[in-house]
This record gives sequence, structure tokens and C-alpha cells, in this order.
Amino acid sequence: MLSYIIRRAGGMIVSIFIVISVTFILMHSVPGNPASVLLGPNATPEQVQNLNESWGLNRPILTQYYKYVVNIFQGKFGRSIYYQKPVLSIISQRAETSIFLGLMSLLVVVSVGVSGGIIASIKPNSWVDNLLLLVALAGASVPSFWLGLMLMNLFAGQLHLLPSSGFTSVLKTGNIVNLKNLILPSIALGFVNAALVARSARSSMLDVLNREYVNTARAKGLKELRVIVKHAFRNAAIPITTIISFTFAKMVSAAVVTENVFALPGIGSLVVQGILKRDYPVIQGVMLVVAILYVVINFLTDLTYGYLDPRIRYG
Amino acid sequence: MDLINLLLKRKMALVAFITIILILTVTALAPFVSPYKPGALNLSDRLKGPGLTHLFGTDHFGRDVLSRVIFGARITFLLGLSISLFAVVFGLPIGVLAGYFDLVGTVVMRVIDASMAFPAIMMALALMTILGGRGIVNVIIAVGIVWAPRMVRTVYSSTLSLREETYIEASKAIGASSTRILIYHIVINLLSPVIVQATFTFAFSIMEVAALNFLGVGIPPFIPSWGGMMSEARNYIQVAPWIILFPGIFLAISVLSFNLLGDAVRDNLDPKLRNEELA
Repeated sequence: MLSYIIRRAGGMIVSIFIVISVTFILMHSVPGNPASVLLGPNATPEQVQNLNESWGLNRPILTQYYKYVVNIFQGKFGRSIYYQKPVLSIISQRAETSIFLGLMSLLVVVSVGVSGGIIASIKPNSWVDNLLLLVALAGASVPSFWLGLMLMNLFAGQLHLLPSSGFTSVLKTGNIVNLKNLILPSIALGFVNAALVARSARSSMLDVLNREYVNTARAKGLKELRVIVKHAFRNAAIPITTIISFTFAKMVSAAVVTENVFALPGIGSLVVQGILKRDYPVIQGVMLVVAILYVVINFLTDLTYGYLDPRIRYG
Repeated sequence: MDLINLLLKRKMALVAFITIILILTVTALAPFVSPYKPGALNLSDRLKGPGLTHLFGTDHFGRDVLSRVIFGARITFLLGLSISLFAVVFGLPIGVLAGYFDLVGTVVMRVIDASMAFPAIMMALALMTILGGRGIVNVIIAVGIVWAPRMVRTVYSSTLSLREETYIEASKAIGASSTRILIYHIVINLLSPVIVQATFTFAFSIMEVAALNFLGVGIPPFIPSWGGMMSEARNYIQVAPWIILFPGIFLAISVLSFNLLGDAVRDNLDPKLRNEELA
């Protein structure tokens, strides 16, 4: 196991370096002098001078790269032009909304996707299966922002059941009722992604349900529910977990637009504002944080597989 | 001929194929079939619900929603096609070289995998800013750069298995050059997986383009687009939901059709799935 962890960790570090290099290249591709790009049009010559010093922007490109990497490892992601605050502190202020949105959407994905997939697999090619397949296909083809707008119109605009937009911190106010603002966004985000999970849950369940040990379990006279939950589902869980972790990455992307639709103060709407205001340090910071998070989550998922399945560990 | 057989065997794929042909036909004939000019303002008729004079209703400037949906299909299909081509033109050679030469593969695939750590829409947004803002060509490049790595992955893994084939070994044995093997034996056999991946790229990219237009960073606002229509109509959603409803439905139908077609062709390439009746 230890050599497996070390190998994976090595891969993760290489990926993080590539991610950092990609953002470095991207930010150097912005037309104009990097210092004035990073400081905005209203910067004083002194500020430009200071930034040139601390990021080494007037030095050769390799020195700049070195400074860039060192700064990032020290947690210096630059200052926002618009907010005039360090990028990392803005990101951490906005993380709460995105994390709650992510968790609630994940709940929708898992409950709708996994249960839908299992139900479809019980009687393959029945009308229930075909209906679920069609819903799943349609779900995967609907843009989450459109679904969000439609849900918003129905449940907030017409029926007045749920709030349409905005979100106030739960951690600061201690008011858990605030989470109801995230119900519609998480359904919009989760439902669309549940489709993928449902399809893969169906096919891995079908695969397992044809195995001999499932026949044996039935032959022993176990109740069907017990066979499905204890014998089949537990063995189908690994491929389903894979697809859920893959879905999580897709959701981060879709959340950018969903947060915008529901006016949620999260990281996704931060990056959109950053783009519209040409706040390059914010764009760079968010991309780095999100991509590094993705690499780390992948690493942890790999470790889980290695733990669950010895064939992967020694393969 | 393969395609026709496949379509006859799978009803869903046939429906998808016909839908795509229909949309394409309407798109090509847009100036003749659309009842109004997409930009024609008619303020006295603004925010009218769907009816006989305006099948899909009108928007806040009194523009006909149906005509705008038809013209929006034009730009959607144009962009989807260009982005898929972009992904093939860059993804195919890079993927083949990475799959055929081990050293190139190790380096390139590391970079490709790491670049996929950036969420698609964020990467596209950042690229749009770097490229200098709204514009059709910028959208093609930005979304193309996001999807090309996925094409590289597909081509890479197919090349890895192709190069182990006996006929490749035979070509090497009779002294064929790497260039010859790559072009005549590998690339030719990659066409099917590349077409499948291009179909999916088309589906995903038109969704992403709609998202960019919705966020106001895609193509210029004077060109009617589905994402742009939805974005402009946001403030009127309670009084005129049809302005958002129809472009969304057509976007979903297009994405669904391309996904179904891609699924069918992919399953057909896989002998394990070929005889399984899906739907």
C-alpha cells in the first residue's frame, strides 16, 4: 500500500505543477504588461514597481516562473483589482455557499441517480426501465441553467413555495433555514448530473445481478430486497463511486452558471464577475484553487480504490 | 450503408438522426422558413404569448421568438461543427503521436490529464478573456481548446490498442516507415472512434456555448443565439417564460439527438454491445 500511495502522490505533485504552469502561461498570454494586467488600469507607478519586485515581473521568464511557484506555495495568490483584498481571503469567504451547494447537489445526484439506476436494473427492458432511461437521457441533455430558470419560475415565481435567489451565510447567522435558498439550485444542478449516475448505476447493477453469487443468494431463499441491497448493490458500489467522483468535477463546472442564475455568492459567480471586470488575479486564483482541489480529490479517490480493491494496489 | 443499417436497427437513433436532419434543413432554409426577420422590432406586440401570429410568442422588443430560435439554430450548429472540427484537427495528430511514441505519450498525456483539472466552463471563460472578449472565432478557439484534450484522450487510448495489432507488426516487418504506418494503418482505423467523440464534442460544446452566451461572454449580442435569448429574457421570466422555454427545449433536443446518435454509433463499434437491443 505504501508504495502505491507514494506513486500516486508523485503523480499528484506533477499534476499540481502542470496546473500551476498552465495558469502561469494563461496569465502571461493576456495582452499587455503583466504588472498592469494584474493591478488594473488605475495602478500607480509605485504599485507597479512593488508588484514587479515581489513577483519578479521584470526578470527573465524562468525567474518569473520560479517566483510564481514560490509565491503560490506560500499562499500568496495576489490581490483582487476590484475588491482590493487578497484573492485567497475572498475565495474563503465565498467557499461556504459553493460547498453547501455542492453537498446538497451531491445529495440529489446520489439519491435520484443511484435509486433510479437500481430500480431500472431490477426489471431490465420493462416500461419502468425504458421510462427511466428516457428521463435520464433527457436529463443529461438539458442545460442546468435552463432547468434552474424554469424551476425558479415555477416554484418561486408562480407557486411562491421557495425563495428564488440569494443566500445568507448559515455559519455566520447560525440559521439553518437559510439552506432553503439552495434547494432549487441544487435540484437544477443535481438532477442534470444524476442522469449520468443513473445510467452507470443501472449498467453496473445489471452486470452484478447476472453473477452466480446473486443466483446462489436467491436459491438460498433470501428475500429479493435483501439480494439487491446486500449482495448486488454492495458489489456494484465501486464503479458507481467512480462515476460520482467524476460527476463532482462536472458539477463544479456547471455550478459556475447555476450560481449566476440564482445570484448565489459562491466561487462560481466570483469567477464570472472576475471575467466581466477583467479582475485577472481573481480568475487566476479561483482556477488554481479549483484545479488543485480537483487533483487532490482525484488522488484521494485513487487511494480509496487502492484500499477497496487490492488488484489496483498491486497492479 | 453501415449507418443506414444501424439506424434501422435502433429506433431511438433513427428518431435522433431524423431530428438532426430536420433541424439542419430548417437552419439552411432559415431566411425562407422563418416567419419574421429575427431582428425585426415591433414594440406594440411586445411580450405577447404564443398564438397564431407568433407561434412561440414575442420577446421584450416584440421580436418573434420562433424566428429567433430558427436563426439561433444556425449559429449553434455552425459553432458546434467548427468546435468539433477544431478538436479533431488538434486532437487527432497529438493523440496519434502520443499513443504511438511512448516518450511523447508520457509527457503529452500528463499535461492533457492535468489540463482537464480545470472545469470546462472556467477554462473557456478564462480563454475568452485572454482572446480579447466576445466574438465567434474566439468562442470556437476557447471552447475548442477545452474539448481538444478530450479528443486527444480518445485517440490516444485507441492508438495504444491499435499499435499492438498484428498488421502493424507486419508493416514494421516489411520495413514500412513510421509515417506510413501512422497515416495508412492507424489514422484510417481511428476514424470511427474519432467520429463518435466528435459527435459527443458537438453535443457538449453547443451546451457550453449556450452557457457562455448566457453569461454574456460568448458571441456578440446582435447575433441571435439560444443562450443569448435566455440571458436577455431573464428579467421577464415571470411574465414571458416562453422566451426562455423554447430556446431551451431546442437546445435540449439538439444535444439529446447528438448524444443518442453518438451512443448508437459507439455501441455499434463495440461487438459486445452490438447485438444488445437497447431501445
